[in-house]
Amino acid sequence: MTIKLNGRIDSNNASAVEQSVLKQIEQGDKTSLVLDAAELEYISSAGLRVLLRIRKTNPAMRIVNVSPEVYEILDMTGFTEMMTVEKAYRVVSIEGCEEIGRGANGKLYRIDQDNVVKVYKNADALQDIQHEREMAKMALILGIPTAISYDVVKVGDSYGSVFELLNARSFAKILAREPEKMDWCVKEFVGMLKKIHGTLVPAGKLPDMKETALNWANFTKDYLPEEAGEKLLAMIREVPHDDHMIHGDYHTRNLELQNDEVLLIDMDTLAVGHPIFELGSMYNSFIGFSERDHEVIKKFQGFDYEIGATFFHKALAAYLGTSSETKIREVENKARIVGYTRLIRRTIRRYGLEDPERRADVEHWKASLLELLAETDTLLFNANELELDAVPENLQELQSFVEEHLEAADCPARAEMQIGVAVEEIFVNIASYAYAPETGKTKIRVEVSEEPVTVTITFLDHGVPYDPLAKADPNTKLPAEKRQIGGLGVFLTKKLMDDVSYEYRGGQNILTLKKKLG
Amino acid sequence: MRIPHKIDLHMHSSVSDGSDSPAQLLDRVKEVGLQLFALTDHDAIKGCVTMLELLREGDPAFLPGAEFSCRDEKGKYHILGYGYDPRAESIRQLVETGHGMRMRKLRARLDFLRERFGVSFPEEELRWLMAQDNPGKPHIGNLMVKYGYARSKEQAIKEYINQLHIRSDFLRPEQAIAGILGAGGIPVLAHPSYGDGDQLILGEEMDQRLRWLMERGLQGVEAYYSGFTGKLNREMLDFAQRYGLYVTAGSDYHGKNKMIALGDTGLEDAAEGPEGLRRFLDQVRKEQPC
Repeated sequence: MTIKLNGRIDSNNASAVEQSVLKQIEQGDKTSLVLDAAELEYISSAGLRVLLRIRKTNPAMRIVNVSPEVYEILDMTGFTEMMTVEKAYRVVSIEGCEEIGRGANGKLYRIDQDNVVKVYKNADALQDIQHEREMAKMALILGIPTAISYDVVKVGDSYGSVFELLNARSFAKILAREPEKMDWCVKEFVGMLKKIHGTLVPAGKLPDMKETALNWANFTKDYLPEEAGEKLLAMIREVPHDDHMIHGDYHTRNLELQNDEVLLIDMDTLAVGHPIFELGSMYNSFIGFSERDHEVIKKFQGFDYEIGATFFHKALAAYLGTSSETKIREVENKARIVGYTRLIRRTIRRYGLEDPERRADVEHWKASLLELLAETDTLLFNANELELDAVPENLQELQSFVEEHLEAADCPARAEMQIGVAVEEIFVNIASYAYAPETGKTKIRVEVSEEPVTVTITFLDHGVPYDPLAKADPNTKLPAEKRQIGGLGVFLTKKLMDDVSYEYRGGQNILTLKKKLG
Repeated sequence: MRIPHKIDLHMHSSVSDGSDSPAQLLDRVKEVGLQLFALTDHDAIKGCVTMLELLREGDPAFLPGAEFSCRDEKGKYHILGYGYDPRAESIRQLVETGHGMRMRKLRARLDFLRERFGVSFPEEELRWLMAQDNPGKPHIGNLMVKYGYARSKEQAIKEYINQLHIRSDFLRPEQAIAGILGAGGIPVLAHPSYGDGDQLILGEEMDQRLRWLMERGLQGVEAYYSGFTGKLNREMLDFAQRYGLYVTAGSDYHGKNKMIALGDTGLEDAAEGPEGLRRFLDQVRKEQPC
């Protein structure tokens, strides 16, 4: 039951107020007591004592709509510690305010130079606001720069949360107005993404994105051929649990540049999980949603489809630390599997399949999903691993991939060159002999370990079993015309590397090169 | 006296503005199972004298008390006095001064009400009023309701009685403190955070107030009080510890006149109380024969 308090409660009327409230409680329904303080202007210590006594018989009592002045008194005296005291919400009008952002749960308006308000769609958003606030606080504690709402306000029939955001511009706006800043945006965007994915979250604090993805797949599989649906589910199940943070809705409208600082906003979708789930959502934001209708991204992000597609591609390259198209495509395809799974579910659940346009969307995504499922066996990826066709034309891409990883590890130029020679020798060998006369794939893994800093490069192929090390080293003392043809490449490799080893295991040739740096 | 568990060192009888006579109060004290109690009427010790006569073997331990309304240029205070000798001249003088001031105020109020609002009471009511030890605003207010001048005591006080702003004499805190000390009693600041009952004094302001009164001889604070939250209680306990003050616990029970339960002090078990309270109990046990 709710009882209204009004005017002043001081020593002159405290006992009258007390008696009146107790009488109303006695006559009212026996549900938990709520004191509505919207009209309460002042409360003296005599009034506080009344509240204390009422609470003694009504331990679950709450006081709501408390003005800032009365709240201050209740806070100073410790009342806010011992009972639920809810502040009155300031009323904010957004009439004529610039809409500066739009997310899954609401819209962002600038209310003055320093402040923005996020207005939530659903009328009963207090819980969502509280949730987002907690998420943002936790992210901040874990080192992610973000804006935390400092006030909850009433906007018409909805609630809003107010943030301080000075002179901030979203990355979407920067890209739309100054596309020449693309590379800078990519760098900052990926820097933040890596920071998020490098943040370990204490167990149980955030929802597990894998669970969510399983829900998507369980829904979407019913619209796929049985075998494909089962494969999709199995692939998501196979993704290991990961306690690193993912944002869940990471795109250029949720990254703000405030002066020189990059801030992440819209924190209500924070979760933990494998990065592939993040990349899936990112694919949707920049490409997936707009694949058939290129206007969609224009409405959502304010820039053209081509810019979105280029941005995603560059961001993925930077995230993986490679320019290898093969590598980027591999991870992009895995992200698309996650993305389409989500898009199909979302569209069917929101709009059904009645509308021919929506149905065409779903059919389009489904066709792509089936194609990808047929050629993909896992959602896992390793940025240090590249699989490509073992053909001489791919040497350049492979060399670049290895170099990028060596440069990231601050490899000295001389060692980088020596490794380059060895990698070339081994790859050309595999390309020439492993599958001849057919062609096949080979996988290269680049790993850097500490103390001493050592680079390990592993080649794996499914070609004919062949141990290049079994052959005796060529006699280099012989004059050129007497030497055997071939074999020199392997010899060179052994000379340049600190260790070279071979094994045949699980139907694969596995050749490992080790080189100590410094 | 054993170490008491349940105590209440702040309550009023009909000698001041409570509704229970000292005898009724003693019954209530036994009902709720207090092991130590103090009667603290406003500017009066007559109830304590009566109580001492009423007490029998096996009754709860009793501590004579009083609550003096004081004022000086720094503010208003309620100062409790405990364990004084009721026969001592200094406490009798103090009560008389306080009582005299109240009486002068009462006459001023009655004159004001008659002249300004035409309020008059029958002669026997006036005699009854004057015969009270400590007649104040509530007594006049009740009479105004009884004779149809106001709907409620609160309305009478707010709309009529409080229209007169009396610049009358007040007891100064050093006067009250000296009177209590002179009779071998312990001066304690009542409900410190609430000042004279309807203020809110915290933090730095409280610190200054305490130091001001300590310079004048204050020895303790009522850190446990029915109207205190945990935060206010903790603040007062911190002050008590910092300044080595005694700690007391009181409800401010007024019988039917205020909705405060006897024994409701916010302190569960006095034997588990803070050091300042233990020292207070040791001190009054030494001096009290009963």
